[in-house]
Amino acid sequence: MRRSIADSTREYARGIAGGLLFSLPLLYTMEMWFAGLTVRPSRLIGYVLVTYVLLLGYNRYAGLREDASFAEVAIDSVEEMGLGLVVATVVLWLCGRLTGEMTGAEIINQIVVEAMTVAIGVSVGTAQLGGEGQPESGEQHDEDKPRDDNNDNDDAERQSPKDEISFNGQLVIAMCGAVLFAANVAPTEEILVVAIESSPLKLLGLSVMSLVFGVLLLTYSEFHGASKFVRADGARMVAMNAFITYAVALLASSLILWFFGRFDGESLEICVAQTVVLGVAGALGASAGRLLLQVGNAH
Amino acid sequence: MSAVKKNILEWIVFAVSLILVMGVIGYLSYDAATLGNNPPDIQVRLGASEQRTKRFVIPVTVKNAGDETAEGVRVEVKLKLDGADAETGELEFPFVPRGGQREGFVAFNSDPNAGRLETRVLGYEKP
Repeated sequence: MRRSIADSTREYARGIAGGLLFSLPLLYTMEMWFAGLTVRPSRLIGYVLVTYVLLLGYNRYAGLREDASFAEVAIDSVEEMGLGLVVATVVLWLCGRLTGEMTGAEIINQIVVEAMTVAIGVSVGTAQLGGEGQPESGEQHDEDKPRDDNNDNDDAERQSPKDEISFNGQLVIAMCGAVLFAANVAPTEEILVVAIESSPLKLLGLSVMSLVFGVLLLTYSEFHGASKFVRADGARMVAMNAFITYAVALLASSLILWFFGRFDGESLEICVAQTVVLGVAGALGASAGRLLLQVGNAH
Repeated sequence: MSAVKKNILEWIVFAVSLILVMGVIGYLSYDAATLGNNPPDIQVRLGASEQRTKRFVIPVTVKNAGDETAEGVRVEVKLKLDGADAETGELEFPFVPRGGQREGFVAFNSDPNAGRLETRVLGYEKP
């Protein structure tokens, strides 16, 4: 069953709103513009591919239509990336970042660096903004769709209730949350400054804080869905979940730092310190991602 | 693909997105494949001097012919009158990306046409 033009227009509008909401801080960040000027194209290709994989994962596990086939998920991800490129281009141009004296490489690199976070924002916005109480949205059509349409081997997983998001799904969503949050501060000079000036003990403190945040957000907070999604029965599960979330956050942080060239020419200690400093943002994003980003599925 | 049901608007958005994404990846791949490893190579070119209120300005164009971006490029322009250093102008460009160029001006009190100009790249950083 096809959606009406009005429905899909609304969906794109939500996506664009989400893209701007989550990535405007980055579009307004000077270091991001400069990252576009200095990044090497091979690294940028990697960035695009990783973003695409994240979009695939997010759309698969937290997307609007959870009975979507792989082809639909792949198509949605391409659309989100396309919207991201368009939104980034328009905003950068309006901000006077794309000028006539720049070479093609400068313009394209700058747009691509920004567009990838916009694309994740579009994805989150499409799935999360205003899903509730909307008769036209996903669910109705899910029922219209004949069940035997899904001849993938994922069938069993799909038909399971929405709150049974698989462990893999939770990891993917945590990763998306971590990237979305950490990317907002990763390119700034402040991360390096904090990393260089903090004593190892304080860095350890940041690390402990990240873990505590993880525990709080995943278990004791009043966040919608906290008890439902995180099977946190027992202290062991709480600890395990918090450690896994933090591990995802550290992984996301180090990937982003590497991409922005923050590891180039730094000693191992400073690289680790930067990862820990950024890991606080990553851990918040990952924990919140596991809860907030999948709230849409709770309805 | 037969299971994918989309309306005309969604197909258009998808088609445009696909072209954009493929275009970007294609361009980046081409760029990556053709990019060498030469360090920044800054070339300075001076334009004709122009008279402004109480001073003369000379347009300075720096071009980076290398494969890496140069950061904080400092350029010095010396005005020599009768063989002696008369005035020195200096300016800095925050970024000169590979293959890119930036423009600026140096100002002198004396007429540069009366003497000789010498340019020098003082230095730059790797980003």
